[in-house]
Amino acid sequence: MSHLPRVLMKGNEAFGEGAVRAGCRHTFAYPITPQSELAHFLARRLPEIGGVFVQAESEVSAINMVFGAAAAGARVLTSSSSPGISLMQEGISYIAGARLPCVIVNVMRGGPGLGNIAPAQGDYFQAVKGGGHGDYCQIVLAPASVPEIIEMMILAFDLADRYRNPVMVVGDGVLGQMMEPVEIEPGETRTAPAKPWATDGQGDRPAPNIISSLNIVPEDNERFNLDLAVMYAEIRRGEQRCEEYRLDDAELVLVAFGTVARVAKAVVDRARRDGIRAGVIRPITLWPFPEDSVKRAAARADRFLVVEMSLGQMVEDVRLSVEGEKPVHFFGRPGGLVPTVREVCNEVKRITGVMPGAEDVPAATGVDR
Amino acid sequence: MSVGGHFYPTNRVSIFVGALGSGKTELAINTALMLAQEVPVALVDLDVINPYYRVRKVKTELARLGVDVVCPPDALMQADVPALTPAIWGVLSRDDQRGVFDVGGDDIGAIVLGSLRPSLPTGHYAVYFVVNTCRAHSATRADIHLMIDRIERTARVGIDYLINNTNLGPETDAATVVEGRRILGVVAGERGVSVACTGVRPGIAAAVRALDAVTPVFRLRFFMRPPWETEV
Repeated sequence: MSHLPRVLMKGNEAFGEGAVRAGCRHTFAYPITPQSELAHFLARRLPEIGGVFVQAESEVSAINMVFGAAAAGARVLTSSSSPGISLMQEGISYIAGARLPCVIVNVMRGGPGLGNIAPAQGDYFQAVKGGGHGDYCQIVLAPASVPEIIEMMILAFDLADRYRNPVMVVGDGVLGQMMEPVEIEPGETRTAPAKPWATDGQGDRPAPNIISSLNIVPEDNERFNLDLAVMYAEIRRGEQRCEEYRLDDAELVLVAFGTVARVAKAVVDRARRDGIRAGVIRPITLWPFPEDSVKRAAARADRFLVVEMSLGQMVEDVRLSVEGEKPVHFFGRPGGLVPTVREVCNEVKRITGVMPGAEDVPAATGVDR
Repeated sequence: MSVGGHFYPTNRVSIFVGALGSGKTELAINTALMLAQEVPVALVDLDVINPYYRVRKVKTELARLGVDVVCPPDALMQADVPALTPAIWGVLSRDDQRGVFDVGGDDIGAIVLGSLRPSLPTGHYAVYFVVNTCRAHSATRADIHLMIDRIERTARVGIDYLINNTNLGPETDAATVVEGRRILGVVAGERGVSVACTGVRPGIAAAVRALDAVTPVFRLRFFMRPPWETEV
């Protein structure tokens, strides 16, 4: 086999390859555009290395297979796109309630409903505000390039095991479908930490391990919820991640994640040529939201512009972090469209007063969130 | 297939197949544009598995450049269903124009070609198998043979030529491209076919030619760009 230092990889393949490098050997999924290449890739890759890929009969079935494998101590993955992730919400809540680690990939597409197969970010609320029932939170990672997908998948499995909590990695169709070069690091495989709680056979234990999210006595369940709250606070303090781009002297701060963050960086480079001091905060963890970075920026900058492929969801977390100190504007393309560099540039010029009256704003974005 | 040291298909119909993400679409578009300099060309989008990066995405731009794109009508263009338009059979039967077919990736994408097999113009078409040896599952002789076998079985046609499209996107260097050509040379010899050309981004064409003076170099102009690389 010829040795190649790098390969050209699709984002969807990178989600799978990242999982493999993280030591994941169990994947249960059901195909859906625009993430099907992920399942296609792992269906071939996992058996090569002694792993298992099962195409479940539905997303509901897939997430419950994940529940079982996670309880048995496996590093386990499922993936889908928006409508399929909606179907999984009950299972995700059960997994969080059972204190089990797993990784879920959502390659988002245009909604609501069946919507379309175009790229979107309209599942932000569902991902970060608890899409299923009950008081639970999941860590949410948002890579913006193919190499970063691999990095984030490895981190996702580590965080899931560290906190015994589900971790979701979100992308959008563009990120899933695009190709970028990534470095091959053969043999780089993590192993999961010891899981003495796993239901992997009683062995020498005095009693069998039991995994359940059932808490019949309200006082017991309150104590369980309060323990979760302590853990969530620890995650909020310790796990915020973001990239700050040309932020030091920025008067205008663009906030965007995933694909849109790359558009935002191109916008900032363009705006600076016109003398507009702009920068980008790119949240890498959507939950916990990188509020510390946004608060620091709010002390220095004049205003914020949040750009999303939605009607405006993350903008609410930016406003919560800014706490009314500075104006927070929003520009979005919902339903399956990617904001172009040109239209975001026009919005930048409009709100900074460099180009008063610039009106290249699509009607759908007139919504003031 | 080359004319005067350049890649130039001489059959009426050129069909591009290959593994997912090997670069068939860019090769097919560039071939159609080259042919359109001389003759009327229809570029058929047979890709029913890639939801975004396929010929129909740049239909308008290609129409301006003189290439007629055959794909489902606008309302169905982004439908997640394997829709085929009857105009495809027109392209196969007409001898007053050239046809270029961009087939979806892997054996799954080639199923569509298999369904057209009875209508292919015997003796007037050539099948090009595009390879990027920098892709996972395309890096070795064994993997390339395996994918050719699968596609030939599903498409029910034989491969006539290999095309070396080895690349790492913007990070491609000439040595990587020529190493891909070397691997394809071995595969071509084993299958009794030839390597039609090496596809390259224009910036490294001279460097590739310096390392491999024999294989025709096909300078590619790229159409499948991510949204942040659009002009301002």
